[in-house]
Amino acid sequence: MSSDVIGAVLVVGGGIAGIQASLDLANSGYLVHLVEKSQAIGGAMSALDKTFPTNDCSMCILAPYLVTAGRHPNIELLTNSELLELTGEKGNFSALVRTNPRYIDLLKCTSCGECAKVCPVILPNGYEQNLSERKAAYKQYAQAIPGAYAIQKTDKAPCRLACPAGLNVQGYVQMVGQGKYKEALQIIMEDLPLPGVLGRICPHGCEDACRRCDVDNPVAIRSLKRLAADKFDPRQIEIKTLPKREEKVAIIGSGPAGLSAAYHLAKKGVLSTIYEALPKAGGMLRVGIPEHRLPRYILDNEIELITNLGVEIKTNTPLGSDLTIDDLFTQGYKSVYIAIGAHKGFDLGVPGEKAEGVRQGVDFLKEVNLTGKTQVAKNIAIIGGGNVAIDVARCAVRLGAEKVNIIYRRTRAEMPAWEEEIHAAETEGAEITYLAAPQEILTSDGKVVGLRCIRMELGEPDSSGRRRPVPVVGSEYDIEIDQLIPAIGQKPDSSVLENIPGIDFSKWGTVETDSVTYVTGRKGVFAGGDVQTGPWVAIGAIAAGREAAESIVRYLDGIDMAEGREAIINENPVYRPIPKGEPKKSRIEMPELAAEKRAGNFKEVELGYCEEDGAAEAGRCLNCGYCCECNQCVDACLANAVDHSQKAEEKQINIGSVILCAGTDTFDPSTLDEFYHYNTNPDVLTSLEFERILSASGPTMGHLVRMSDHKEPKKIAWLQCVGSRDNNHCGNGYCSSVCCMYAVKEAVVAKEHSGGNLDCAIFYMDMRTNGKEFERFYNNAKDKHGVRFINSRMHSIESVPEIGDLSIRYVTGCGETIIETFDQIVLSVGLEISKETMDLAKRLGVETTEGNFCKTSALEPVSSSKEGVYVCGAFQGPKDIPQSVIDASAAAAMAGKDLSSARDTLTKVKQVTPEINVADKAPRIGVFVCHCGINIGSVVNVPEVVKYAQQLPGVVFSSDTLFTCSQDSQENIRKAVSEQNLNRVIVAACTPRTHEALFQQTIQEAGLNPYLFEFANIRDQNAWVHQKDPESATQKAKDLVRMAVARSALLEPITPIQIEVNHDALVIGGGIAGMSAALNLADQGFKTYLIEKSSELGGQALVHAVNTWQGDNVPAFLSKINDQVTNHKNIEVLLESDIQSIDGFVGNFTTSVNSAQKEREINHGVVILATGAAPLETDEYLYGQSDRVMKWHELDSMFESHPEIFKETRSIAFIQCVGSREPARPYCSKICCTASVRSAIAIKGKKPDMNIYIIYRDMRTFGLREELYKKAREMGVIFIRYNVDEKPVVKRDGDEGLIITIKDHILNTPLKISVDYVNLATAIVPPDDRKSLAQMLKVPLTEEGFYMEAHIKLRPVDFSTDGVFVAGLAHYPKPIEESIAQAQAAAGRAAIILNKSTIQIEPIVSVVDEDKCIGCGLCEQSCAFGAIRLKQVLGKGYRAENYSALCKGCGVCAAGCPQKAIDMKHFRDSQILAAVCAGGTNA
Amino acid sequence: MNDSFKPKILAFLCNWCSYAGADLAGVSRIQYPPFIRIVRVMCSGRIDPLFIVDALKEGFDGVMVSGCHIGDCHYLDGNKYAVKRMEMLAQLLDLSGIGRKRAHLRWASAAEAQPFADNVVEVTNIIRDAGPFNAKDHEMALNALTRALTTTRLRWLVGIDRHLTENENVYHEKTDPILFEKVKNDAIIAEFQKALLQEVLDKGPATVKEMADKTGIGIYTVSRRLNELELSGLADLKGCEGNTPRFASPV
Repeated sequence: MSSDVIGAVLVVGGGIAGIQASLDLANSGYLVHLVEKSQAIGGAMSALDKTFPTNDCSMCILAPYLVTAGRHPNIELLTNSELLELTGEKGNFSALVRTNPRYIDLLKCTSCGECAKVCPVILPNGYEQNLSERKAAYKQYAQAIPGAYAIQKTDKAPCRLACPAGLNVQGYVQMVGQGKYKEALQIIMEDLPLPGVLGRICPHGCEDACRRCDVDNPVAIRSLKRLAADKFDPRQIEIKTLPKREEKVAIIGSGPAGLSAAYHLAKKGVLSTIYEALPKAGGMLRVGIPEHRLPRYILDNEIELITNLGVEIKTNTPLGSDLTIDDLFTQGYKSVYIAIGAHKGFDLGVPGEKAEGVRQGVDFLKEVNLTGKTQVAKNIAIIGGGNVAIDVARCAVRLGAEKVNIIYRRTRAEMPAWEEEIHAAETEGAEITYLAAPQEILTSDGKVVGLRCIRMELGEPDSSGRRRPVPVVGSEYDIEIDQLIPAIGQKPDSSVLENIPGIDFSKWGTVETDSVTYVTGRKGVFAGGDVQTGPWVAIGAIAAGREAAESIVRYLDGIDMAEGREAIINENPVYRPIPKGEPKKSRIEMPELAAEKRAGNFKEVELGYCEEDGAAEAGRCLNCGYCCECNQCVDACLANAVDHSQKAEEKQINIGSVILCAGTDTFDPSTLDEFYHYNTNPDVLTSLEFERILSASGPTMGHLVRMSDHKEPKKIAWLQCVGSRDNNHCGNGYCSSVCCMYAVKEAVVAKEHSGGNLDCAIFYMDMRTNGKEFERFYNNAKDKHGVRFINSRMHSIESVPEIGDLSIRYVTGCGETIIETFDQIVLSVGLEISKETMDLAKRLGVETTEGNFCKTSALEPVSSSKEGVYVCGAFQGPKDIPQSVIDASAAAAMAGKDLSSARDTLTKVKQVTPEINVADKAPRIGVFVCHCGINIGSVVNVPEVVKYAQQLPGVVFSSDTLFTCSQDSQENIRKAVSEQNLNRVIVAACTPRTHEALFQQTIQEAGLNPYLFEFANIRDQNAWVHQKDPESATQKAKDLVRMAVARSALLEPITPIQIEVNHDALVIGGGIAGMSAALNLADQGFKTYLIEKSSELGGQALVHAVNTWQGDNVPAFLSKINDQVTNHKNIEVLLESDIQSIDGFVGNFTTSVNSAQKEREINHGVVILATGAAPLETDEYLYGQSDRVMKWHELDSMFESHPEIFKETRSIAFIQCVGSREPARPYCSKICCTASVRSAIAIKGKKPDMNIYIIYRDMRTFGLREELYKKAREMGVIFIRYNVDEKPVVKRDGDEGLIITIKDHILNTPLKISVDYVNLATAIVPPDDRKSLAQMLKVPLTEEGFYMEAHIKLRPVDFSTDGVFVAGLAHYPKPIEESIAQAQAAAGRAAIILNKSTIQIEPIVSVVDEDKCIGCGLCEQSCAFGAIRLKQVLGKGYRAENYSALCKGCGVCAAGCPQKAIDMKHFRDSQILAAVCAGGTNA
Repeated sequence: MNDSFKPKILAFLCNWCSYAGADLAGVSRIQYPPFIRIVRVMCSGRIDPLFIVDALKEGFDGVMVSGCHIGDCHYLDGNKYAVKRMEMLAQLLDLSGIGRKRAHLRWASAAEAQPFADNVVEVTNIIRDAGPFNAKDHEMALNALTRALTTTRLRWLVGIDRHLTENENVYHEKTDPILFEKVKNDAIIAEFQKALLQEVLDKGPATVKEMADKTGIGIYTVSRRLNELELSGLADLKGCEGNTPRFASPV
């Protein structure tokens, strides 16, 4: 433990456990850093539809926690973040946390959703289990906290990386897909001034990189670019330019490089003059590419857009003696860019090349392209395999050549020309001869008459990777021709540059430059394009021009030209994975001019896509980078919150403790597709998918339909233990604990959705409904809802052809094989630790179990193997929400305990907004009506209610919101309060029970007293209960709003009452739970009284002290904790003590204890009830009548104390569920299965030949305990299932032993088992004195007699009575680790109160009008709390007086006062009657 | 039953049990008739019977008060006061001719969604059977109810009932509940009759016969109540018409 303790805690994981731990810690004086890897907190719970066993809407109960955590001043939310490294020691750690960019500023985002609206990238919605779609700009779910949107983005898409100019391909493809051609051009023209040109002639290297190739064919990117330029005139695009500068630049050559340089220079404010040798601008684009591929007007228009920027082009002005580089500088140009291209064709190097009729391809094309004609012979041979050869061929055909033969020395596969060009040439009539090369030009009279060729064959690959052509000896042959056009390559015509000092040439005749800046050896002179690279693609020249422009501007500015421009190569780019099962979609063919219409003209052959084709083709894009950086969101965001330049940030955070609650994933059944057909059949769903289908906000809006045909299913089957209890297939041997209950819940909810005609069947091995209230839920599902439970593991699933149903083959308990058909199957997938979490554990050095859960001991259930690092939630072991919440509070208590010396050192005090004085002001009421997604909106006509509210008296503002509880809506309420000067706020939404406090806080932040808030319950008590009567529900909503408006007009501000807190604690019950709670509180520095009825501490553990199921030594632990408790300076133990009375309220309890025959009064601030429970005494199965029948530990104890009996014993049986899960006690006692199995293993281990039977109903070795069950079976323990209707019968077998008769389900006959001893696992029952304590503390009991917590899911250790907490068996039967965790949790929750000097109490109390009061004293008589009493008033006799701290606010006194002199704050007669009056009149 | 009649029913629900039960009915999507308008109060013991009379005056056809089961009260025994008050109100409603079917007390815990919905259905059916309530037709009776329920006598009796019958007084005597009930019943009748007479007198002087005619109370009883009113200064002799004395409210 460090001596320098830091009062801050790092919580890793923002699920419900993380949220609870954070809230507890933040409320007890610690600063919390909550690290969540996704963009919002809420975890798995946020995606659930309902929660068992209460069927509360998961989101409804979670949302207030999300909002509270989100707005807590002492919780720092770090979303999109991960913990990389942890150094230091307990009390003082340093954590390295990386926050990945969200690309949207959390503080600026108003959550309006405009970014998502315009975002073109459609992705599967992970929150909806990929059953629906979302955008790359998205919010995880409607009520997500933080409410800000986020943009999902990874590395730049490969198409963009492949483009020499780095064009944002994904961006413009998406824009074209949406028909936003102008926006597409804006993206393209960021880098490229010639979209229509490149959209036709670019060799599209991007398409080779397209990952669509892995599915089918690449996206036709070039054609989509062309479509944009076809649909929108690029000249109309507004090009943003910087202010014009003085300096001018000269550019030599108007090809793509020159034009691009001029364009990019112009954008930077630098104007240039382009000197062009030829009569027209365009360079190779003009003279190299024939018009049938690139219509002239396209090129002209796009050059025009450049000259429109102020660029001047001087044609017919070659560099040479009339115009030298020096001249240019003399004329005042500050820099010169040389981009003269490579226009000189290579000679063939064969005899006869000088003959008439031999002409270079480039020269041929130049003439054709400049004049539209040239001399063409009848019979032409063209040498070469590139696009120039093809272009020549296609021109020659068009100009009337009779025979055009392309001769290429390799095969078609090696041909550098594009396949579509080759194909077009052939279509148009050109012939191609492969594997031939010219040897000699045959001439006659100096004219070409023929060509001698030689056959070639392919040899070894050369440096280009292509196989080298090798002449075939003796294969020469001659052909007759009258024109020969070599087109085997070009080089720059360097003659004009040769004499310029400083310009150097490579061996290929290209100009040497710096590879980054393109500067030549001469100052101020740059070169680029083909003249520098040799002949290459136009897009490369365009990129070069852009780079030159950058260099030139830097040169002009006199700054470093190279800095920051080195290409960064990402070795392992991360792309969006190609979705599993991405359907194949063929690439849309480019429509072409019919071949017969091409002859004799240069009409464009490729006709371009239509809009529909473009949309379909763009739809094939896989969005490799997720976000396409189209920047539509940037324009759409009015708050300027989008920032695409955000980068990941790493920071060190100093903390004292760490809590890990990383949660789990669910098992992926696609790995077992041969069993479950999950991949192949859309009607096989995981349970999480089914949750989303049931959810009103889910992909089907809560309509239960099957995914294949959207019909309502008639029969649904649930398959349990998918990915759990299954070592063979998935390696997860453990039980996932939650699946049985969620399946039962889903079945019940599904039935409710379908109106009762749905058949639901659950196929299970053991139903494990061992939690509080679970068994009752299970029974109701069976008996009331008619869910079928089939005790069988399915054998196989098969699709029923045509109707698409699924048949399940299974074997019943009696061995019969049954095939049953269902139309939907839900896989109850188990929980599994994710790879990321495993890595995290490894990085932190935290030990894990075999199943990768965090290793803990039963006696320190929330402590990891690393000191100061605690664990809670499902990462600790598969568990449900209440247990996760308990563990979270326990982890918070343990983490807080370590840091108690640094409490309150780092926390911020919440800013109090000054309260607006509303006294004497006329009501200005704001009404906010909530759609609650579709929960309200689909039943109640919300807009109509809003409109109606507007005209009610006092209402000055009303509006509707999708989710009024979401963070952005809260902000809107605050805004409305200040903008509209509201002094009363009404929310018409779910229920005040869950959301009133939230809205009260909101208006408080806006400066209004919280009691000026009023709720109209139009969901729970309206929309949900009148779903089939929208008209009446709308009417009712209006009435309820009208009543709320009337009441709110009379509401008054109320000042809260502060009361002092006594910092001592009282723990009732000295068992393990009580001792653990006391110890934690005492360690935190709080004086604690521990009251124990008996004469000894230890409770049930004293009697049943054995090792835990994990092997922890309980007796040793007991004696250790006993010592610690007894000797702790802050703990006073009162043995043999009875509570006589408990008076008071939170912070100020007074308890009267009869301790060792002495009355004693203890003042304390909190109470923890840990009064325990005990095994049921029974008379079943001969217990009490035969010495051979024992219960619980009795058998083990007897064997231990009488080894001779153990030696002689041949067989024993355990009978489970004795008194549990029966009508008298319809609950599972939870611990008995594990106890019997553990005991059986121990005995079997000592005496392997003993026959051990466990007679059970469902084997409930939940969670990681499954390992024990497996072991017991392996050791030969025999498990026999019985039915509660046919219990086993135990009879004496003379004096010899016992005979158990039990029905064998397989043989359907009674089975007799002889055993020596029977051990009964009797129910765990609460003690008898629970009722008096419950009454003293005014806390409720469940029907079973266990204490009833404030909320079974999210407040499992609190009572609704403040300051009272529960732990251990008093709450429900539970194993020792859960008792300890709950005790720690209770201590932690209690410490939140004890830590405060004062607390606020509910100020809804009675007020007495002294003038009306006559001092009759009836109020005093009727107050159960002594909160209103008579006092003497001088000259008036007696008058009643209220004692606020005692007053509970019931209003009994006010309702009964004969003089009507008493009223209740916030529930005044006038306020109630205002609502009544308003309700009575008609809307 | 008249199906086209859509009654207006006011429901006072206690915050802890019935309001939560009503929420749970919503969460459980239990459907029930859409006629209740809920007002949340902290405890059923907060309900002054006057609220219910006011509700009837203001256009409701009936009222349901719902709270925690006896023993479950968040405030220990507030609901027990509700029982006493609702019993008294029921008697008064019967006396007034309006009938107790207009006001109901029901229990529903926070966990009882279906029972809550059942209560709503049951109360709705009773009030539908009773038909629309027209406050104008019962103006005098309603005003008399308000008057009676405001009297110190009835408020004291209903308030002290439990104290006297469940606990011992300072002399360790317990009041016999049957005896107390009788005293209370007599008082309820007397106070209501007096209230009715006051209603008549407030409209102008009247003879005993006229008062009996207007209230339906027997002449002898009218005389007696009038006497009581005179003694407490709530009615005066306003001269005679022939031999017939006329009475009036004090000015």
